[in-house]
Amino acid sequence: MPRISLTVNGKPVAHEVEARTLLVQYLRETLKLTGTHVGCDTSQCGACVVHVDGRAVKSCTMLAVQADGARVTTIEGLAPAGKLHPMQQAFHENHGLQCGFCTPGMVMASVALVQGNPDPTDAQVRHGLEGNLCRCTGYQNIVKAVLAGAKAMRT
Amino acid sequence: MLKPHIGDSVLRHEDARFLTGRGTYVDDITLPNQAFAAVLRSPHAHARINGIDASAALAISGVLLVVTGEDWLKQGFGPIPTKSAVNKKRDGSPLNEPPRHCLAIGKARHVGEAVALVVAESHAAALNALDAIDVDYEALPAVTDARKALEPGALLVWDDIPGNFCLDFELGDKAATEASLKASDHVVELDVVNNRVTAVPIEPRGAIASYDAKTDCYTLYNATQNVHANRDTFAEKVLHVPKEKIHHIAPDVGGGFGVKNGVYPEPALLMYASRKLGRPVKWINTRSESFVSDSHGRNQMSKVRLGINKDGKFQALYTETIGDLGAFCWTVGPFTPTGGSARTQGGPYAFKAMYYCSKAAFTNTMPMDPYRGAGRPEASFQIERIVECAARKLGFDPVELRRKNLIPPTSLPLKTAMGLDVDCGDFPQVFERTLALSDRAGYAKRVEESRRKGWLRGFAIAPYMECTGGGPKEFAGVRFQKDGSVELAVGSQSTGMGHETSMPQILAARLGIDFESIKYRQGDTEATPLGGGHGGSRNLELGGNAVHQAASEVIEKGRKLAAHQFDTDEAKVQFEDGHFFVPGTNQTMTMREAIEASFDPSKLPEGMAPGGLDANTTYERGVISIPNGCHAAEVEVGPETGVVRMVGYWVVDDFGTIINPLLCDGQVMGGTAQGIGQALLEVAHYDPESGQMVTGSLTDYALPRADTMPPMTIEYYEGAPTKKNPLGVKGAGEAGCCGAPPAVVNAVLDALKDYGVTHIDMPLTPEKVWRAIRAAR
Ligand code: FES
Ligand code: FES
Repeated sequence: MPRISLTVNGKPVAHEVEARTLLVQYLRETLKLTGTHVGCDTSQCGACVVHVDGRAVKSCTMLAVQADGARVTTIEGLAPAGKLHPMQQAFHENHGLQCGFCTPGMVMASVALVQGNPDPTDAQVRHGLEGNLCRCTGYQNIVKAVLAGAKAMRT
Repeated sequence: MLKPHIGDSVLRHEDARFLTGRGTYVDDITLPNQAFAAVLRSPHAHARINGIDASAALAISGVLLVVTGEDWLKQGFGPIPTKSAVNKKRDGSPLNEPPRHCLAIGKARHVGEAVALVVAESHAAALNALDAIDVDYEALPAVTDARKALEPGALLVWDDIPGNFCLDFELGDKAATEASLKASDHVVELDVVNNRVTAVPIEPRGAIASYDAKTDCYTLYNATQNVHANRDTFAEKVLHVPKEKIHHIAPDVGGGFGVKNGVYPEPALLMYASRKLGRPVKWINTRSESFVSDSHGRNQMSKVRLGINKDGKFQALYTETIGDLGAFCWTVGPFTPTGGSARTQGGPYAFKAMYYCSKAAFTNTMPMDPYRGAGRPEASFQIERIVECAARKLGFDPVELRRKNLIPPTSLPLKTAMGLDVDCGDFPQVFERTLALSDRAGYAKRVEESRRKGWLRGFAIAPYMECTGGGPKEFAGVRFQKDGSVELAVGSQSTGMGHETSMPQILAARLGIDFESIKYRQGDTEATPLGGGHGGSRNLELGGNAVHQAASEVIEKGRKLAAHQFDTDEAKVQFEDGHFFVPGTNQTMTMREAIEASFDPSKLPEGMAPGGLDANTTYERGVISIPNGCHAAEVEVGPETGVVRMVGYWVVDDFGTIINPLLCDGQVMGGTAQGIGQALLEVAHYDPESGQMVTGSLTDYALPRADTMPPMTIEYYEGAPTKKNPLGVKGAGEAGCCGAPPAVVNAVLDALKDYGVTHIDMPLTPEKVWRAIRAAR
C-alpha cells in the first residue's frame, strides 16, 4: 500500500492507504475529520470541497495519493478552535445554512472564490458556486453571506 | 444573556456546530466493531426472480451475511403497511394494498427495489459482494404511466390487483358542480400534468443499527424525519418486537422535505443483520441509489374544468385526477392524490360549487410519498393554470380576473366546498401588496429593455391557499436543572428548519429566561414519550404550541410557588415579562429566582416536589390552519434558445404570527427554490419501454443552482393570526412549493403569448420551450 504524508489543517500526517482511497475517505475515515461531507457519487454536489494547496477541490474527485505532499485545509481547520472565519461568521449572520449538510463545502468553496476575487458581484458569486448544491436555502442567503464574508475578508 | 421575543430574528443556535464541521450526521457516527451493509437493487422495472445464488458473494473474504427475500420471509417478518388517512375506496371497501416487504419476494416491481442485503467487514467488501450475487431474473414488460396502467387490458404490476387499481376518491358535490358548470356562460378545460419529482436532500439516507443481546434491545441511528412513528412500525409490524425495544435516534439530519418521513426497508434489514451478527451494522445510500430508492412525489395527471360567467365570475370547479403511486402504497402515498389534493381545491377563490375525484394506480416505478406540500402544490397548480388559461381564452386580464374572484375578508370565516375551514386572512390585501412590490408601473419599460437584448419578458401572479398537516399531537417537556440550565425536549423534528432556535425562542420569550440556557432535544424516542416528527408544516403549529403550553404550565406552577413566598393568595400573583408579582405591592420574583427556589425544599409550597416547575405536556391540534399568500414572478425567455431566466420574484405570505422572520424567510426561499426547480428543471423521468429512470443521477436530474434563483423580496402579512391555536401560527414550510410553480409557468407562458403558446407541461426546460415556440411559429 502506498504511503502518503501531507499537512492537514496545519498538522503533518502520514498513513499507508489503499491506492483507490479517495481523499474524502481518507479525511473522514482515517483522520476522522467528518466535517467534509459526501452528498453524491458523480462529483456534482460540492459537499466535499476542501482546500488543497489553497485551491478549492472536490475531495471525492481526488485520490488520497494525489494529495501526497500537499497542504490540505478542511472546514475544521478553517479557523482556530473556538473562532469563526469571517466567512463562517457571515453564513451565521445571514442565515446561509439550514440543515448544514452542504455548508462545509459551501463555505470552503466560498472562501476560495473570494480569495481569487476579493470583491465579487452577486452574479460572480452565483456563477462561482455553480459546483455546490444546496437543497434547503434556495441560495439567496448563501449569496448574501458570501458577499458579506467577502467584505469582512477585505477589511 | 439573550432574552428574545416572539418575532425576533434570533440567529441560529445550531449554526455553531454546522459551520465548523462538528455536526453529527449518521455517516459521521462510527460504532466499535461496526460492519458495513450494501443493498442489491433490482436493475429491472419488472422481473421474476427465479433464484438468488449468493455463494460466490459469501466466499469473498470479509463478507459476513447475505439476506434475500426468502430468508426474510422465513424469519416471519411482516410487511410495512400504509398509513394513508384515506384508506377506503368510494364504495367503502378498503384500498387495494399489496404487501410491501423489506426485500423483493418472487418478483421485483421497480428499478431500485431492494432484492438482497449484504453485510461485510468493510464497505469495499460489501460492494464486491453485491457484484458477486447471481440473481436469475426473468425480465417482464413494465408499465410506467398511471394513465396506461388504468386502461383495460393493461399489464399488471400485481397479479391479484385487477386493473392496477388502488383506490378512488371523491369530495364535494358532484351534481351541484355539474349543474353549475352547465349554467355557466363558459366552461374552460385544461389537462395538467404535475411532473414526478424527488426531494434530493443533500444528505442521502443512511442508518446504523446496533443490537444489544444483554438487554435484547436495538439502537437505531437513522436519517429520518419521524423517529416515533417509524419505530412503531418497525417494532409492531415488521420485526414483531415490543416498541420499547427499539431506541430510535435521528442525529443531525441533512434535509428531508418529506422523503425521509416514510418507513423504508433498510433500517429494518440492518436491525435484523445486527442481531444476527452481534455487531453494529452501518449503511449509507449512494446518491445514485437515492434516485431509485427515495420516495418520489407529485405525478398527478388532471383534467380541470372551470365554469365562468361573462362577467368573469368563477362558478364551478371540477377536477379529475389520476395519481401514480408507483409499485407499492408506501407509507402514506395513497393520501396525496386523494385527500391531499382535494382539500385545497380552488385556492383562495370563491366558488359556488366544487368537485374533486381521483383514481390512484400502481406502476412499475419508485413509489410515491409526500414531497414538500404533498397534494397542495398540485391543487394550487391546477387552479392557477386553469385561471390563466381562462383569462387567455376569454380575453380577461389575468390580474383583473384573479382580483375579481378572491374570497373577500368579509366572507370569512367560511367552509369551502371542499370542507376546508378558512377562518381568517385577507387575500385581496395580500394580492395587492404583492402587485405593489412587483412594480407593475415599471413593467413596460422592463419588457422593452428585455426586448432590446433579444429576450421576451413575462409576468404572472399566483395567489395560493393551502393547509397544514401531519401528526395531530405533539409533546413538549421542560426540565429545569439545579445549575440553571433548562432542557427542552419536543417530539417534532428539524431537518434543517432551525427548531433548536425557534423552539427555545418561544420558551425563553414566554418565561423571560436566557435563551442560551436552554438545551434542546429532539429526534429521539427516549427524549419524548411521543412525537410527530416533521411533515405538513406542522412544527410551529404543533411543536411550537406544545412549547407554549408547557410554558403556561411552568408559569402556573411558578405562581403557586411565588404565592407561597409572598405569603399571599395564588390568585393575586401575576406573571409578566419574566416576573411574578402582586400588583400594588413591591413583591416580585423573577422566573429565574422561582426556578432556583424550586430546588430549595424550604421554599416549596405544600404538594410541590423539588424541581417542581417542570412540565410535560401534549398539545393537540383542533383544526388545521390555513397558510396563504401570493407569489409573483418575472421571467425572460430566449426565443431562439428556449432558455428561461428568473429575473424578479416577490412573495407576500400570511403565516399568522411570525415567530422568527429570519428562519421564516429561509423556509420561503427554500420552498420557492424547490418550486422553481419543479417548474423549470426537475423531472424523475422513466423510459416507458424499459422502465429505467433516465434522470437517475445528479448529472441528469437538474437541481436549482445559485444562478437559477432570482433576486427575491419577501414580506409577511401579519394582520390575521389564526385563533385555531394559541400562538396564532399557520405553518410556513411548504407554501413556497404551492406558489412558485404556477407563478413561474404562467410567467413563461405570458412571455410567449405573442407566439400563441398557451400550455407547456413542467419542467419548462429549454428544449420544451424551444419546441413550443417552433411549433407555434
Ligand atoms: S461528494 Fe458530491 S461533489 Fe464530492
Ligand atoms: S443547508 Fe441543507 S443542503 Fe444546504
